[in-house]
Amino acid sequence: MTAALESGADFAEVYAEETKRGHIAMVNGKVETALSGLDYGAGVRLFFGTHAIYGFTNDLSEENLIRIAKEGAAAMKGDRIYEPKGWRKMVKRCINPVRILPDSVAKGEKAEQLRLAAEAAKSYDPAISQTRTGFLEVQKHVLVANTEGIWGEEDRVRSRFTVEAVASSATEKQSGHLAPGGSEGYELFDRISVEAAAREAARTAVTMLKAKPCPAGQFPVVIDNGFGGVIFHEACGHGLEATAVARNASVFAGKLGEQIASPLVTAIDDGTIPNGWGSAEMDDEGTPTARNILIENGILKSYLVDRMNGRRMGAAITGSARRQDYRFAPTSRMTNTFIAAGESTPAEIIAATEYGLYAKQMGGGSVDPATGSFNFAVLEGYLIRNGKIAEPVRGATLIGKGAEVLLQIDMVGNNLARAQGMCGSKSGSIPTDVGQPMIRVGQMTVGGRG
Amino acid sequence: MERTEFQEKVIAAALAEGFTECEVYYRGGTSFEVLILEGEIASYENSRQEGLSFRGNFQGRTGYAYTERLEEAAIPFLLTGAKGNAALLTPEEKEELYEGEESYPLLVGVHEGLERLTPEEKIVAAKRMEQAALAGAEEIASLDYCVLGTALTEVAIKNSKGLDVSFAKNFATAYVSAIAKKGEETKTGSFFWKDRNWEGFDPEKTGREAAKRAAAHLGAASVPSGKYAVILDGKPMAALLGAFCGVFFAENAQKGFSLLQGKAGTKIASEQVTLRDDALLAGGYASTPFDSEGVSGKNKAIIEKGELKTLLYNRKSAKKDGVPSTGNGFKAALTGSVKTACTNFYLQKGEHTVERLIQEMQNGLLLTDFMGLHAGTNSVSGDFSLSAEGFLVENGQITRPVEQITIAGNFYRLLEKIEAVGEDLYFSSGGIGSPSVLAREMDIAGL
Repeated sequence: MTAALESGADFAEVYAEETKRGHIAMVNGKVETALSGLDYGAGVRLFFGTHAIYGFTNDLSEENLIRIAKEGAAAMKGDRIYEPKGWRKMVKRCINPVRILPDSVAKGEKAEQLRLAAEAAKSYDPAISQTRTGFLEVQKHVLVANTEGIWGEEDRVRSRFTVEAVASSATEKQSGHLAPGGSEGYELFDRISVEAAAREAARTAVTMLKAKPCPAGQFPVVIDNGFGGVIFHEACGHGLEATAVARNASVFAGKLGEQIASPLVTAIDDGTIPNGWGSAEMDDEGTPTARNILIENGILKSYLVDRMNGRRMGAAITGSARRQDYRFAPTSRMTNTFIAAGESTPAEIIAATEYGLYAKQMGGGSVDPATGSFNFAVLEGYLIRNGKIAEPVRGATLIGKGAEVLLQIDMVGNNLARAQGMCGSKSGSIPTDVGQPMIRVGQMTVGGRG
Repeated sequence: MERTEFQEKVIAAALAEGFTECEVYYRGGTSFEVLILEGEIASYENSRQEGLSFRGNFQGRTGYAYTERLEEAAIPFLLTGAKGNAALLTPEEKEELYEGEESYPLLVGVHEGLERLTPEEKIVAAKRMEQAALAGAEEIASLDYCVLGTALTEVAIKNSKGLDVSFAKNFATAYVSAIAKKGEETKTGSFFWKDRNWEGFDPEKTGREAAKRAAAHLGAASVPSGKYAVILDGKPMAALLGAFCGVFFAENAQKGFSLLQGKAGTKIASEQVTLRDDALLAGGYASTPFDSEGVSGKNKAIIEKGELKTLLYNRKSAKKDGVPSTGNGFKAALTGSVKTACTNFYLQKGEHTVERLIQEMQNGLLLTDFMGLHAGTNSVSGDFSLSAEGFLVENGQITRPVEQITIAGNFYRLLEKIEAVGEDLYFSSGGIGSPSVLAREMDIAGL
């Protein structure tokens, strides 16, 4: 860091990690993949005012890190020499207590859980033709130190179970999947039932196998809780990341204090939820994570701000800087993001809908932050007729613009739930939770083939 | 530690620990990327990284492990991990390592001109792209991205059966995404260039094209739902081929994850469709003399004039079907085992200009982009439902831009429906390519 500052940088940061990973995957109850590995590397980041440079390497020798810092600095020219401040060690809050380190459990025991799940999915229905089950474990030790005096270290442990069931008929194949996980150890398997998850995945697949193509058009859409929160993640969350806001590349830029959503909508990004999939002690700049209210009763309250974009925007940082690993410079990202619970019961929402689409299970999606245009797939959907859930429909896609959809949310349920996803963006693929209670969007464009 | 020396140390340690045969796959390289915004460096990245993946046979089973720490201290972690992983697998899944071939195709991987380029020269080129984009159309408000990058990667495989191959290649990439604004309306348009021939790079054209594309979509509106004739230009068609390329992997077919099992020799697409996977394509992004198993790269027709000729094989899936590997056994990353992957995978171009295709279509949609490919496609059934944008074509003329529509269909049916193929072969960043194609009776959801 001294080498970096000597080149005229006004801020320097070193991020280093050593990560043990394990992955076991089964196809049809038989181990297909068993992998373990060691990620190892460091990234050096320098600021020159509102410009940043980044370098990374696997060679963590002092000599090489200094070389990376100097090579980076050569591209920029600072006009004064700064002094690094003394280190302050981060105080730990124990946000993600871990009971059983995943690598302390025999691989055979993990495989047995996957086998039980495969069996449960297979025996759910004769139409289930294939199953895929998996277990992913990560034990990451990270260190962040910077010239502002931050010295943060954290052991991050994550466990995730995945199950996919495929149902087949003579002409069709449909699949269902679930992937529960958290910033937790092997005790994940005490919290969830792999068999129940497997049966749920199988149920979706079998239901969709019998489904007719979804009609296309514009009508009310009821999106269920849990992974349904991907709508907010895509339609709004990405547009609230300072990465987009600072460049004026978001439809929500310059709208703090304004009504951007229906008054029924309160949305929160909370990196401190105990054992949450996107939770951590600190973000990847060494700032303690926080509970940030993004939207309160429809009013835009805050963006998600990292250090560099905070400088560019003149905004305070929010503990939201994240990165996949040392290969990526950190930037503002979501952690665990969700729409807060409202007052309607799910039954009331369905009953109040004359005709529409009920999206019980959502798939992934994507968004162009500049325009807010998003799209996502409905994995398990039903038509609603006369206030009742009617026949299942498949192949539906929801498309729209974030700013418009947020204003069109006209009912918010009381059954908040979160679900786990991997979010890919500028600083790589990171674990994020999406979440919401059941919501209804007054009108949406639904793509389908019916 | 030096690469070759470390590879040899790992092999020697593994054989001493009781592995009967083993292999060390190395991947390393350097990369550079600069992002220019408003005439200044908004981000700048410089890296050097390497890692290796080990596989070895222990007590009749194959185990994998990888490390990015190329130090002696990591060797016990590798070998213990590989042994534990091997124990979970059945002896039937055991992988025979490959002793290699007499000779390999000669490919030029490293373009010296690119290696000699200084960071300053790259920064200047990126700034020229930005200026050209900002001046490229009246409505351009700002740029979303203006990135220039170069990368050099090297792969080296060594095993206890004598395989010893290595190949290095470099590339430059440029990407500009421009934001056009008119009143309340915002549109983005992008242009992407990737080549190792730096001398052929035109920064001004790259910037200008992005600007033109953004401006051309201003004033876009949806269209009524219904069945339309559609021209998919190279970009969305390549994206679709990328999303569904897995259906051509024998590995997936054997497990029931593709509907093409047993279809070799039958007609699965229209006469117009010839689909190739060519590892030896001159200048191709994915060109390589050997795959991750050491099998030599080849140029294959997967579909020739509508007939399925072959699936893509790695050594394991080839053995199951009793055929030779097509040289498509690749590791996506160090973290993965050898699966199947495409090399330069593309729909062979036809003879029609895009103008001619538009004439032939008369009325319909010219689609220029898809969104949400990772979510709106079902790789098992072939179903897709994707948000799209493009232009409305009426009486053989482009009349206005179109947005907020979805196109739904099935990949297998689409292959059968392709009526004409353009001459405008486009390659995406991953080495997947397509010209424009014309298909009728596609389901569009809009108003």
